[in-house]
Amino acid sequence: MSPVSKRDPRLGGGGGGGPDGELHTVMRGLSLQAPMPTDTGPAEVCPVCKSSRYLNSSLRFLVNPECYHKMCESCVDRIFSHGPAQCPIPGCRRTLRKHRFREQTFEDIQVEREVDIRKKVQAVFNKREEEFEGLREYNDYLNDVEDITFNLVNNIDVEETGRRFEAYQKANEKEIEENAQLAQQEKVSFSAMQKAERQQARERRDAARREENDERREVEENKRDVLNRLASGADAETVAKEGQQVQLKKRMDRQAATERQRQLQAASDSRNGSSNFVVKGLKAKQKAEPEAPIDPFGGIRIASKYFTLQDHYVWEGIQDTQKDVKHIAGGYDVRDYTHRSLCAAFSGLGVFIADEMTERDRATQDSEAIGTVRADIGLKDSLMADPL
Amino acid sequence: MATSPALDVPAEPPAKRRKVSPEPPGRNDTLAATAASPPAVADLAEQLDEQERKKYVKGKKIGSGQYADVFSAHLVTNPTKLVAIKKIKVGPEVKEFGISYDSLREIKFLQELDHPNIIKLHSVFSTKNQNLNLVLEHLPQGDLLKLIQDSQGITYTPADIKSWMLMLCRAVYFCHANSVLHRDIKPNNLLIAANGEIKLADFGLARAMADPFQPMTYNTITIWYRPPELFFQAQHYGGAVDVWSVGCVFAELIAREVMFRAWPENEINMVKIICEKVGTPTEDNWPGVSKLRGYVTPGDVVPLRPREEWLANFRAIGDIGVDLLIKMLTLDPRQRLTAEGVLRHEFWTANPRPSRLEDLPRKGGGVEAMGESLKQRGGELPRDGGGAANGRADRVARKIDFGNMKK
Repeated sequence: MSPVSKRDPRLGGGGGGGPDGELHTVMRGLSLQAPMPTDTGPAEVCPVCKSSRYLNSSLRFLVNPECYHKMCESCVDRIFSHGPAQCPIPGCRRTLRKHRFREQTFEDIQVEREVDIRKKVQAVFNKREEEFEGLREYNDYLNDVEDITFNLVNNIDVEETGRRFEAYQKANEKEIEENAQLAQQEKVSFSAMQKAERQQARERRDAARREENDERREVEENKRDVLNRLASGADAETVAKEGQQVQLKKRMDRQAATERQRQLQAASDSRNGSSNFVVKGLKAKQKAEPEAPIDPFGGIRIASKYFTLQDHYVWEGIQDTQKDVKHIAGGYDVRDYTHRSLCAAFSGLGVFIADEMTERDRATQDSEAIGTVRADIGLKDSLMADPL
Repeated sequence: MATSPALDVPAEPPAKRRKVSPEPPGRNDTLAATAASPPAVADLAEQLDEQERKKYVKGKKIGSGQYADVFSAHLVTNPTKLVAIKKIKVGPEVKEFGISYDSLREIKFLQELDHPNIIKLHSVFSTKNQNLNLVLEHLPQGDLLKLIQDSQGITYTPADIKSWMLMLCRAVYFCHANSVLHRDIKPNNLLIAANGEIKLADFGLARAMADPFQPMTYNTITIWYRPPELFFQAQHYGGAVDVWSVGCVFAELIAREVMFRAWPENEINMVKIICEKVGTPTEDNWPGVSKLRGYVTPGDVVPLRPREEWLANFRAIGDIGVDLLIKMLTLDPRQRLTAEGVLRHEFWTANPRPSRLEDLPRKGGGVEAMGESLKQRGGELPRDGGGAANGRADRVARKIDFGNMKK
């Protein structure tokens, strides 16, 4: 089903003048041309059965996104109940299905159509910003998508654009599906979060109200109690003191209880928060999935650009080790020695003292470390410093 | 050179111009001579030393041993930047031999090697009585041994093992490519940084690769991790000795027990157990082995263990992992993989992918664990607690080294 690519050229696109692709014609078509001769006129009349709202106030008009021709509900029932049929509007040969008819959302049928197209394009081109390396790439992508949308809306190169659209859809089926699910999840979790927040707010309000009531009641009770005891002839001072103490104790209890409640709340809040967070984190991890292949050397290769090591060098001192059984059996490899000797011979080539010093200063961040630096250099001089 | 008590140490004192070496006050040093004329003013070396010392604020002691004390410390300028200061104790031998070779080696090699998986030496300074203080990277997560031994509390996956081993192998490769033999690779020398990274530490037994016909000591590397050629007293060896130790660590990580654990731990028992578990070294599988000075094999010749047996014992790591293990624990050091060969093995790129740092299991042994580990001297077996170590000092490498010199 690709209704997008087989759009009726009469719609938009400057009445067939569109395909030449000239922007101003297109724009004029969009804004000035009456989209449909049938839906003009203040009296809303069904173009098929000619019944009007004047006679039937419950008249509802429906459109089908196949061709966007308007007709009344009873006509739709009548014509399409027995299965797909041709559009009854003269000159339109599209086959329409009943289940696709729906009420018009926007008054302007062009807007209606553009929104539909945009929805369709968005459903396929649903990449997210975090999938791109930078803002620039993302903007380029958005630009491409807008090009396609614009072409579809204005019937420019419809065939070609439709092909591109479908090719993309086919190639990225899986990712599109994933992103759609992601969006769905986000929507669900967002609405759940909002709901939870509302619920919490309501509970807090209720609790505050309850507390206030309780407090007021207790104060009343306390007063009554004191009065009763005074009436029964107790000592006024002690009664007053006791009453105060009772009240204080009650208040303390209440405070402790609210504190407990609050902690509980905080705990559950943090749990909620963390569960949300975890879901987010997981998504991000899935995004970062494609890892670089393992480099066993960790990016550090020790190779010299100044020499290549040979297996054999003509020198008795070296060759003898390859005959000496003790060297052989012990696993001594004379290449270690020749390598080191060559390193020593060539070390210093391509090293610029000034650069090295600034490098070092930056590393130590402290000019006072020169003492150690000098000692280091001394050490390297003495033996086996192999910068290569 | 003839007076040098250990062959192991290069003839030329590497730290000749360093302030750390105990300089007799009257000596005509180029540095000292410029500033030392008025006795009231400290000489330049001392000034520099003091500058270095004042950069750190020493905190509490996090470990103490026979050989060194370890303190937690931080920068004066930035209290969040933590370091560990290893203060080497001055023993009686200092009078006789000067600073211990362990510390010299450690300073010398750590200064050279700058690699993410090798512990960093930030600086060195001395205090009043010529104590050496090594300012080391702060590694608060304990060592690998703690993780291996805590079989109740910690579980880890083959992916974790691969991640740790990869970091270790990179460190070893880096050492070898820079002509340094570590010679004491074992789980408790593999410290864990705050972010989970493995750091190879304790270069107290390290040395530069020897020249042809320059003998090296065979009495090095903690005995359980020592390769067969050293038991046969080979004096000319190469990076393969470290690769064997790495193989032992690998096996230990998989099985969670020491691969070659001889008891009582002497050389003969070690050879016996290696013969048992790998196979007897013979001229067939190791050309020239019988010419080595210390070549002895116990009783019957055990054929090389077939691949299936290895697979049965180390099933958990998978076929490719076992293949790597076999190649690292090959008897003949020339057939054993080199450190570079290890990194080229397909194990690393095969599935599963090595765990990311943040996913690695943590023990959180804390700074104490670091102190515990750093205070030790190379070649010591850590498992029997600090007390027992004193009694077994006769098995420590250096001691025997000195004896050998008298020949």
